[in-house]
Amino acid sequence: MKIGIPKALYYYYIKDFILFLEKLGVQIVTFDTTKEIIDLGNLVAGDEMCLSLKIFLGHVSYLKDKCDYILIPNIKNYGKNDLMCTNFTSLYNLVSNLFHVNILTYEIDYKNKLTEKEASFKIGQELGFSKKHIIKCIKKSKVTYNGNLKSKIITNMNNLKSSKKKILIVSHPYNLYDEFVGKPIIKYLENLNCEIIYSDLFDAKTTSEMSKYLSSDLYFKYSKNIIGSIVISNENIDGILFLTTFPCGIDSLVNELVIRKINKPYLNLVIDDLDSQMGVITRLESFVDIIEQY
Amino acid sequence: MKCYLGVDIGSISTKGVIIDDDNNILASSYIPTEGSPVTAVKKLIKILKDKMDDKYIIKGIGTTGSARKLIGLLLDATIVKNEIMAHAIGTLSLYPDTKTILEIGGQDSKIILIQNGIITDYAMNTLCAAGTGSFLSSQAKRLGVDIKEFGKYALKSDNPVKIAARCTVFAESDLIHKAQAGYKKEDIISGLCKSIVLNYLNNVGKGKKIKEPIVFQGGVSKNEGVVKYFNEVLNTNVIVDDNSHLMGALGIAILSKGKTDKTYDLNIEDVSFQTKARECKGCSNNCEILRIYKDDKLIDNWGNRCDKYIKN
Amino acid sequence: MMGKYNIPVKYLLSKITHCIIIEPEKITSKTIELGNKYSPSFVCTPFKYTLGTMIESLDKGANVIIQAGGGCRYGYYAELQEQILKDLGYDFKLYNLVTASNLNVKKLYNIFKKIDKKFSVIKAIYYLYITKNMIRYMDKIDDYVRLNIGFSDKKSYKKLMDEMLDKFIKVKNPISLYAIYKKYNKKIKKVKVNKPKDCIKVGVIGELYTIMEPFANYFLEEELAKYNIEIKRFTNINYLLFTNKKVSKKALLNTKEFQKYKMGADASSNVYFAKYLCLKNYDGIIHIKSSFCTPEISSMVLINKVCEKYNKPVIYFSFDSSTSEVGIKTRLEAFYDMIEMRRNR
Repeated sequence: MKIGIPKALYYYYIKDFILFLEKLGVQIVTFDTTKEIIDLGNLVAGDEMCLSLKIFLGHVSYLKDKCDYILIPNIKNYGKNDLMCTNFTSLYNLVSNLFHVNILTYEIDYKNKLTEKEASFKIGQELGFSKKHIIKCIKKSKVTYNGNLKSKIITNMNNLKSSKKKILIVSHPYNLYDEFVGKPIIKYLENLNCEIIYSDLFDAKTTSEMSKYLSSDLYFKYSKNIIGSIVISNENIDGILFLTTFPCGIDSLVNELVIRKINKPYLNLVIDDLDSQMGVITRLESFVDIIEQY
Repeated sequence: MKCYLGVDIGSISTKGVIIDDDNNILASSYIPTEGSPVTAVKKLIKILKDKMDDKYIIKGIGTTGSARKLIGLLLDATIVKNEIMAHAIGTLSLYPDTKTILEIGGQDSKIILIQNGIITDYAMNTLCAAGTGSFLSSQAKRLGVDIKEFGKYALKSDNPVKIAARCTVFAESDLIHKAQAGYKKEDIISGLCKSIVLNYLNNVGKGKKIKEPIVFQGGVSKNEGVVKYFNEVLNTNVIVDDNSHLMGALGIAILSKGKTDKTYDLNIEDVSFQTKARECKGCSNNCEILRIYKDDKLIDNWGNRCDKYIKN
Repeated sequence: MMGKYNIPVKYLLSKITHCIIIEPEKITSKTIELGNKYSPSFVCTPFKYTLGTMIESLDKGANVIIQAGGGCRYGYYAELQEQILKDLGYDFKLYNLVTASNLNVKKLYNIFKKIDKKFSVIKAIYYLYITKNMIRYMDKIDDYVRLNIGFSDKKSYKKLMDEMLDKFIKVKNPISLYAIYKKYNKKIKKVKVNKPKDCIKVGVIGELYTIMEPFANYFLEEELAKYNIEIKRFTNINYLLFTNKKVSKKALLNTKEFQKYKMGADASSNVYFAKYLCLKNYDGIIHIKSSFCTPEISSMVLINKVCEKYNKPVIYFSFDSSTSEVGIKTRLEAFYDMIEMRRNR
């Protein structure tokens, strides 16, 4: 049994679930974003879709004949005031209309008591595993996942004390860790001898609370987390890089609001077409120059 | 002999044809609009008249293109129609089996899908002029290449540079970067041609079933580089007629047939034709009202959003 | 404020609070200019329009602004708009009634208590009821006019409707409201309609703000009426406030072959509307939205599939404050020509 998971959008939010599938004994197929994948995405994606969604569709297209099922969760919300970008509830419908693939799906809807645990049972049973085995795997994956996350958060916190210039990158993980969007930028900044602080690697509960200092109305779960990271790390960082893909609806509002409230050097980097990397480099370089002067 | 005049006034160029009853083109002309459609059309008519012998009588006039309404007034046209219809009719008169028309003009690009001679679907470019003729000519100027030579340059290259052409602004800055990075001129031009094709298919052609036979027309169809990449990407041979830039004018001439008994003279050279803009102060919309004067007589005005504006 | 709905809102607020209601001006090109100037570049267009309206109202002396929205990023507008306006130096209070698409009654009560100390719940419920009816009547008349405006004198409709709204705002109880509605309903139906049996019919679907605010859609419906087209549209305030949830449930049940999960805002309902229009043999579908409207970008993919299956033409407009009006007219004219050609086949 091979399950394909597009390395885009929700991939970075369901890592615990992916670990669970692996513990179950399922083979996971996933690839890093490549130019080919982006081109495939562009072929089917709507013109106005954000780059991140185009990348997602490219992954699906690339995966479609390399696995038995493609996993597409429908993540609706994590509670009343913890919503997702509306794209997350379109993914299943988009894929089922654009491709001929077998889709494995579950719903995350805390408002209606559909949590990861329900999802694990649903998918586990659909794949023919016993309840006992499923319970065992949920436990095992939880331990591993929490352990991993904790050590990453600790490293991130420790980096706040680094003697290098520290740049907090405020970005959704699906952009931050994408091979084509965030990775080259991180690498470039590291080469300029900067310490990268990751906005998603803080304790989620704390960031969610802290985000209220910058935005009281915010109801997008993951925006809360990455925005909250600014409040936590503000004292220790030298600059903030807002990294977003064109034309992200949420970021267009949230980042604008936050930028009006911070007092650090910042760069608002909007990645549109991946062919124009050179302009990006110029901007990063001058941003680091500004920070150095401080 | 009965003849019909079709004029297609685009943002960049003005095209005109005179046809006979069997849709044969008797005379044609293609001149730049240069921001002044009235002057361009006067010039165009003079050229066309010089090309005809004396025994013709004009029994119909059609106008299309972005200045169709204004020029329709100037020429007292039999029919004024949008360019989608005109292009389809023109093409179908030459290639009745056409299933897909790809058109890239000065500021618009469109795709028209046809089934059994009926337009069943169409789309036009959305936001901006990226990937259209005006974009190409401004980039040619930037690179110091004559637009007529542009396509030939593109053919010289086997190694097109990737250019981000989704949006004019992005494309322009990317192009400068690539040029500064020392890429060969023909590779950049070739890359630009390819990006225009990809951009067109991703934007205008998105989700459309492109079926053969495919006709490619509009000013940009004269660019061999763009044609090459259409063939390459679509894995087919698109038809490009020698008169591919005249299809709109031809179509509107055909549509003007049999609509009136009137006979037209084409003495417009001395007609004074003026558009005056005036801001309506009726509300804070401040609509710009265009008032059209023919020989100092107000013959029409448009541009108002409501009825508040009263003539004069 | 969208279209003519400022009337019921003004009515409600003036009855339940003791505030002076400053009615926003109609949206004009000046509004848009203002909104554009102070908005971040790729927010959706309604943000820009509402921001422009707020600036105009503040300039007229308003000191309390009420904003409501939800379903997508609409609900988040208010906080950023407040910040932008404060940064511009305006002094005011902004109350956001709906955030994460949850309307909290207690919060609402607190807000009104804050705005007006004498606020009474019973009075509010009473006038809310009248307002609800007012909106329903307006929408009913609107629907009728939309079906017929292409075939009769547009000016007499407009005159009658304005007259009716003038009377609406003065009503004191539901009965007199109903009486006025009845009277004008009769009058409006008396306007001569010259409609052929087999007239061309199109449906207009899409993102709600763009559909309801004529300025945002470049007066699309008026333009269609010029071609003698009967227009069907589903979105109005009545739908938005009262039938929305029911419709979206129905939508999913009736379009299972196209969608499994409900998408954001009205995206799923629009897929259903598209299918409905195809099945009812409408001549074509016009989908409109503001640029970058996220839920609708996805629904377009599905609507394409629907129209492909039923072989119906669909045209998409993505409006931006800088859209060229001539371009819209050309596309509409071509759409009409295409429909005619298909009919005469």
